[in-house]
Amino acid sequence: MQISDKAVIDNRGYQYSAGLHGLPGQYCRHGNPPGSDPLFLPWHRAYLYFFELALRDQVANAALAWWDWTSPASHAAGIPVAYAEAQAEGAPNPLFKAKVQPAAQQNGQPQETFRQPGDPNALPSAEQIRQIVSLRSFSDFTAQLEDVHNSVHGWTGGTMGIIPWAAYDPLFWAHHANIDRLWRIWQLRHPQNFPAAFLNRALPPFPLTVAQTLNMKTLGYDYASTKVTVPGTRA
Amino acid sequence: MPERYVSPLLALPSHDPAADFVRAELKFYGVDHSGLSYEARVFLNRPDASADTPQEEGVDGGYAGSFHIFGHGGCFGDVGHCDVPSGPRHPYDLRLSHPLIPDTKTLVITDPLRRLRAHSAESNFTITVVAHVYDLGELPLGRDQTEPLLFDSVSLLTYESPPPLSATSVAEAEQPTPAPT
Repeated sequence: MQISDKAVIDNRGYQYSAGLHGLPGQYCRHGNPPGSDPLFLPWHRAYLYFFELALRDQVANAALAWWDWTSPASHAAGIPVAYAEAQAEGAPNPLFKAKVQPAAQQNGQPQETFRQPGDPNALPSAEQIRQIVSLRSFSDFTAQLEDVHNSVHGWTGGTMGIIPWAAYDPLFWAHHANIDRLWRIWQLRHPQNFPAAFLNRALPPFPLTVAQTLNMKTLGYDYASTKVTVPGTRA
Repeated sequence: MPERYVSPLLALPSHDPAADFVRAELKFYGVDHSGLSYEARVFLNRPDASADTPQEEGVDGGYAGSFHIFGHGGCFGDVGHCDVPSGPRHPYDLRLSHPLIPDTKTLVITDPLRRLRAHSAESNFTITVVAHVYDLGELPLGRDQTEPLLFDSVSLLTYESPPPLSATSVAEAEQPTPAPT
């Protein structure tokens, strides 16, 4: 059974995970309002972590892919082919769209995800990201990166373009894996610059604190730029 | 709908040439994000800018950059669900802050402001913001829809010396933390 086939109330399934972000869970954290902790990056790292574990419960070596929307391919064609084609290998492509559970619908809508992408050239540029990753202050970095993140949600449009249903779109996870990857790059360049004031803040509904999201190695993953594998002596 | 905003005149900052600003930013305070998602395009000294104005930098184009709102799409709870609590918070209230507290958005405009100052004969300028609402198709949005581009105020801040820390980063008193191992 695939993760997308599990019952809505099964907490190992896609609908359960997708429903935590917007409707019906409404747990996601965004923005940097005064007097609030900037939880956007830690909360979404915890979200990705538990979603990938759910995937691995089904397929042991499953891993989230990231969508680098600054790439020349994205600026030429927009959404990656793996997510953009309605059919894959003669069957409906599960990365193209997903159902939206009844508890997240309003008057029976939307029943499934859809997109209304903009001009590929309007996606964020590599130079924009280079400047953001060079920012020394975490509060500057997270505010600027979140703004770019917002722009990609809006650029994709449709259900991805608004908080209540964004996480039902399979593209959501690739978008956020890229955001998480960029935070990882910033952490490597500015390892001392994380504010200590909110390290012990919990990240509901996940049993993690902000501090527990900082070290990706303790979460068991990282972002490799390349990987090349050749057979060994037992091959 | 306030999908367009033109500020009153602001004074161009005057700096000693020997200690000119290294960073300039616009801070938009009290930005509502409870409604639709949109791009807010910011123009300097272009009070005529509209949704059709191209995003061209330079003194003539006036485009200074954009900020982006990822909206909540209206209210999907029962009556009062989306009301941001006012008043002091109970000291033992460990819940996270209300998700609809209006946000602060920062747009760095160092180069556009320098260009404007270099080419403008006036000592004042205007800020024009044009909201471009994203295409969400026929989604059933929640009740109590707010209009795009609702915010309390906008400030121009310039910083004369590095490091260019924002006001919020100073306020949060960053302290070193152990590096990831």
